[in-house]
Amino acid sequence: MKNKLIMAIALVMALVAGWTTTTTTAQAATDDSLAKVQKKGTLVMGTSPDYPPYEFQATVHGKSQVVGMDVAVGKKIAKDMGVKLVVKSMSFDSLLVALQTGKVDMVISGMNPTPARRKNVDFTHTYYQGGYSIVINKNDKGIYKDKNSFVGKTIGAQTGSTMYNESKKQTTGTTVKGMTSVSDLILGLQSHKLQGVAMEKPSAQAYVANNKELAMIPSKFDLSASDTSASVAFAKGSTALVTAANKSVDQIRKQNLVNKDYLPAAGKYLKTNTVNTSMLHYWKAFLKGIEYTLIITVCSVFFGFILGVLLSLARMAKGGVFATALRWLATAYVEFIRGTPMMVQVMFVYFGLGLIVNLPALTSGIIAISLNSGAYIAEYIRGGINSVDKGQTEAARSLGMTSGYTLRYVVLPQAIKNIWPSLGNEFITLIKDSSIVSIIGVSELIFQSNIVRSDTYRGVAPIAVIMVLYFIMTFTASRILNHFERKMQHD
Amino acid sequence: MTKPIIEVKDLAKNFGDNQVLKNISEQVNPGQVIVVIGPSGGGKSTFLRCLNLLETPTSGEVDFDGQDLTTLDTKKVNTLREQMGMVFQNFNLFPNMTVLENIKLAPMKVKGVSDADATKRAHELLQQVNLDDHADAFPTSLSGGQAQRVAIARALAMDPKVMLFDEPTSALDPEMVGEVLNVMQDLAQQGMTMVVVTHEMGFAKSVADRVWFMADGYIQENNTPEEFFSNPQTERAQDFLSKILM
Repeated sequence: MKNKLIMAIALVMALVAGWTTTTTTAQAATDDSLAKVQKKGTLVMGTSPDYPPYEFQATVHGKSQVVGMDVAVGKKIAKDMGVKLVVKSMSFDSLLVALQTGKVDMVISGMNPTPARRKNVDFTHTYYQGGYSIVINKNDKGIYKDKNSFVGKTIGAQTGSTMYNESKKQTTGTTVKGMTSVSDLILGLQSHKLQGVAMEKPSAQAYVANNKELAMIPSKFDLSASDTSASVAFAKGSTALVTAANKSVDQIRKQNLVNKDYLPAAGKYLKTNTVNTSMLHYWKAFLKGIEYTLIITVCSVFFGFILGVLLSLARMAKGGVFATALRWLATAYVEFIRGTPMMVQVMFVYFGLGLIVNLPALTSGIIAISLNSGAYIAEYIRGGINSVDKGQTEAARSLGMTSGYTLRYVVLPQAIKNIWPSLGNEFITLIKDSSIVSIIGVSELIFQSNIVRSDTYRGVAPIAVIMVLYFIMTFTASRILNHFERKMQHD
Repeated sequence: MTKPIIEVKDLAKNFGDNQVLKNISEQVNPGQVIVVIGPSGGGKSTFLRCLNLLETPTSGEVDFDGQDLTTLDTKKVNTLREQMGMVFQNFNLFPNMTVLENIKLAPMKVKGVSDADATKRAHELLQQVNLDDHADAFPTSLSGGQAQRVAIARALAMDPKVMLFDEPTSALDPEMVGEVLNVMQDLAQQGMTMVVVTHEMGFAKSVADRVWFMADGYIQENNTPEEFFSNPQTERAQDFLSKILM
């Protein structure tokens, strides 16, 4: 269950920040959640758009946007509240944290209202009752009949989803493999790493309808109603919002809107979607990905470098108690950042800092990566400064130059020349590592390629395209860096 | 009587438990050329580096132009350092800058001299040390003798009142020693106050006004070069001279 990850993050945030619980109780005491939403005029819906027909990316009038039956549900709820719907994309794992930290007002993402989730968020009534199917390769039709046919085989399911847990519980002798996105699972199926993929019936139908090589079989999972139903999630204690949304949800159920209107509409997008699946057709999506990847990398290197210089100076501070404290702090910072995964740092800045200031995902990503990169660059610079002969400083100081000028004009230029290859390496690493911010929904290259993949149902082609694009970027960067390295050579 | 430009009072310097300088009191008058000689490890370089506070004295005073440097704050020390040029054994030219830029850097950044004025002055100084044709070269392309002459020009660019030389010819090939000593001799003749730590006895004999013989952390003997070389007073100096002269 994704709750594991979410609870782990929530626990960390509660430990560090200590206000998670207090805010929630405060909200429960005086619930102005609906009034707040109506005051700002927008209802922000979080969703993981790789789950057709629930939610997926489609090109509408030349623009890529999130569509699907969940979006239709969201639109109805927003409309009934008299506000505008804003859709925010992020990975499924991040959705509930986003809800708890106020990044989104509600989550509609084909989510089952399981008891474990109910502990952390409030759910509306069910707006759709689905069921599970297993998607298999068409060639294997006849070999597999239901969940019990996979003894000694591997089936896949979305990590953190109910299917994943049920597959584990209700099969024997079958390996269950979890992946974050359904498009990856389908790719695993087609490359025969998986023999079946468990997913919700409407999704299975969509995949089979759009891919001639796939077929579906009934899952025969023994499920309770709450395991197969989909509900809208709101922050714990926002009773007013839940009550208002329930009115819309009840109407949807009563008038059978999902089956009558929403699913057929979503199906239409799926069809238009698969007309042109050439990668060239999606050049705009890739270009946007490159743009964001470069923005993140360049900004992070810039701020990371400044931070790195400051940190390295702090680490080399000599003198009284103040200098010792500074040195100790800088050392602790560097060790801590180097000792924790960048992915966790990105999530912490986005969700954790989000409790204090509401930062957009892109800004959070840049901040997190700058903070991370600064720690590494600090170590390079410290090494670089130490590598400059002490006589250089003495010569500069004997000329009456202050320690600041000495550092700026004499020591740092030489230090940077010495560490240039390491700095270049860091820059190129960042081009690649910036992909981590895709988990908080920044539309950099990996994120965009996932969109294209779920858009086109083509698993490999977008990966090949971004591989080439990444290489072009890193290769160009390394040529530029070499050029400057040659310019700095005087011997 | 002229007021001394440098006056050292009870100067001592320890590195940990190792007492390198023990209670030195001497003075340098304007225009004087002092040559400090003595065996290696006797504290000569440390003494010189205490004069412009590259080493902080453990105790005692270093008065420059009537001000005790050891009591001044960092900012004032920087200002007074401008007036004391220093030339190092290993030149310590900035390898990332051309010869001209090496000379211009401090006047422009510290004194705020305009680029044009600094360039003009740098060319004058380079002519003085016979290296104007190397203005745009990088230090790594220079011979040791050339590099040391640039280092002298760089120190002179701040118009110092005193020049400190820390074994300026020790790292040079023998055939290059002459060109550097010639520049230093010219400087002495122009009336520059100089404190020179060196092993060049010839230079000491012909240029020095006073010779300070230093060993074991003390200035053992302070004498005129004629007296010192022909009739050394202390046994330590006699011993030293007997080893280096035939």
